[in-house]
Amino acid sequence: MKILIVEDEIELLIAISNYLTKENYICELAENFAKAYEKITIYEYDIILLDITLPDGNGLELLKSIKKYNLKAGIIILSARDSLDDKIIGLDEGADDYITKPFKLTELNSRVKALLRRLNYTGSNILVFNEISINTDSKTIAIHDKQLTLTKKEYDILLYLIINQNRVLTKEAIAEHLWEDNIDLTDSYDFIYTHLNNIRKKIKAAGGADYITTLYGMGYKFTDQ
Amino acid sequence: MKFLTKINRNYLILFSVILLVISFSTYFVLKTIIKENIKENLMVTGAFIKKQIAETNRIPELKPFIEIIQLSGKSGKNKQFKDVILFNAKENEEEVYIEYSEIIQANNAYYLIKIREASVESEDLAISIAVVIFILLLIAFVISYLITRRLNKTIWHRFEYNLKEIENFNFKENKAIQLRASNIDEFDRLNQVIKNLTDKLKKDFLSLKEFTENASHEIQSPLTIASLNLEETLQQKLSEESFKKVVIAINAIQRLTVLNHNLLLLTKIENNQFAASDFIVLNELIENKIQEFDPLLREKNIQIEFISQSVFQVKMNLNLAGILINNLLSNAVNHNIDNGTIRITVDQNEMTICNTGTVNELTDETIFNRFVKGNSKSYGLGLAIVKQICDTHQLEIHYSKNEFHCFTISQKIATL
Repeated sequence: MKILIVEDEIELLIAISNYLTKENYICELAENFAKAYEKITIYEYDIILLDITLPDGNGLELLKSIKKYNLKAGIIILSARDSLDDKIIGLDEGADDYITKPFKLTELNSRVKALLRRLNYTGSNILVFNEISINTDSKTIAIHDKQLTLTKKEYDILLYLIINQNRVLTKEAIAEHLWEDNIDLTDSYDFIYTHLNNIRKKIKAAGGADYITTLYGMGYKFTDQ
Repeated sequence: MKFLTKINRNYLILFSVILLVISFSTYFVLKTIIKENIKENLMVTGAFIKKQIAETNRIPELKPFIEIIQLSGKSGKNKQFKDVILFNAKENEEEVYIEYSEIIQANNAYYLIKIREASVESEDLAISIAVVIFILLLIAFVISYLITRRLNKTIWHRFEYNLKEIENFNFKENKAIQLRASNIDEFDRLNQVIKNLTDKLKKDFLSLKEFTENASHEIQSPLTIASLNLEETLQQKLSEESFKKVVIAINAIQRLTVLNHNLLLLTKIENNQFAASDFIVLNELIENKIQEFDPLLREKNIQIEFISQSVFQVKMNLNLAGILINNLLSNAVNHNIDNGTIRITVDQNEMTICNTGTVNELTDETIFNRFVKGNSKSYGLGLAIVKQICDTHQLEIHYSKNEFHCFTISQKIATL
């Protein structure tokens, strides 16, 4: 999978690129409008991460160029401008998703994976982790081919954990992913704890292994290692 | 009191006093003058009678105006004036006369002559003149009052217009203040001062607004970099102590992010950057939000009662309406007790959201101010955002506390 990252903050560009490279994506970087425009017109990408506030041009202009030269690419806008209007314009202009700075890398990863699934790059809507398989279309989970019933939030948590497997996730990161806008919910962290326990119990009851590791009571990691 | 009313009232009082003083003094002055005049006349008449007696040696009989008595010798006062009351048979009443008496000597004989003139006539004259003056002055006053009033109205008209313009002036509307020139130096100077002041205020307001927005934007990137790097650090093998420190740092950045996001949101609502383009049925929105909150409500075992009596529709941006309900529900959940209750009632033009909670948690309407927190975990901006949304959408919000903590949002009735 080839990803183009357009971002004028070099440190941010490097952090994103390091992370995505570890996730086995091939990353190309552009820190300004001119460079990004050149790459878009020459190469083909699967995903383009696009910052719309660039020093030498408007990212929304790039969006139009992408639609012209790189039609197949999925576009995720990275923006410091979290104004809802920008979001609507961006999505209207053909972006596939919109993520507001500051974001978590795991969140970005989830969005990239979700977009890839939507664009059918993976060729399948089934996500498999050992005995657990998730059908992202029907939003169902099976363990050893046996249906597992989870609530919607539990499903969301498990999907997030599996997509970001082998990574340490804080309770807060999971809560943020689940609630997005409901930012003032101070009690949602305890909620994560309860629900992770429920997921564990349900998977165990269905004959699955416990892949959720708790780290010092503050973080979680979904891993079979 | 209005300036014009005040001026007119003072004018009226002052003029009444002047009118009375002038009328009365006119009366007394005239009375004295006329009396002196009569006395002069009487003396002239006396001299004339003396001359006649001396020439003809005969006593004229002209009662009651002139009375002449021959005296045996010179006795009594030579000349004197006094008021006498005589009976007028013709008009059948007693009348006051001024009497002039003089003892004259003609042809070696002494005569006492008394010459009288009705003083009632002089009194009447003084009164009528005073009345005439009073009426004339009154007419002059009324005319001048009307003219001044008329003049004042035209002069003050533009001032009133400008005053209204200043009253209606709103910084949030991107419009300069429009004042009319009045051709009166003082007023025009005032206009200039106001214009300069508002321009200055507007500039400050805009730069403050811009600063808030820019600062918020500029803060986003470093926050992202810090948070991403910390997140990466977290993936390494860390001791428990280091791990906890990194998580605490990440969470602190998260708090900053939310704070920044909320302040930016507040600024944007304040600046009317969300067009009220959708008709939102709050009932439906609340229903959806309750479902979203359901897992959290279960967690605290909070019972929720939703009483939808009538449709409450508002014209608002969809996302803002979502934030409004979200923040109110978050508040009701955050400040609730375990096994508590949330009761939402929606009526036409009004919705109330009540929750059980600890007794002294919220005090009064200051809870709508920024950074007023019931508990230290919250950001203290949720209700400020709710209030700001209400303020910019002709909605009123009230907080009341009985056994429940209640927030009531109602539509302001448009006053035309």
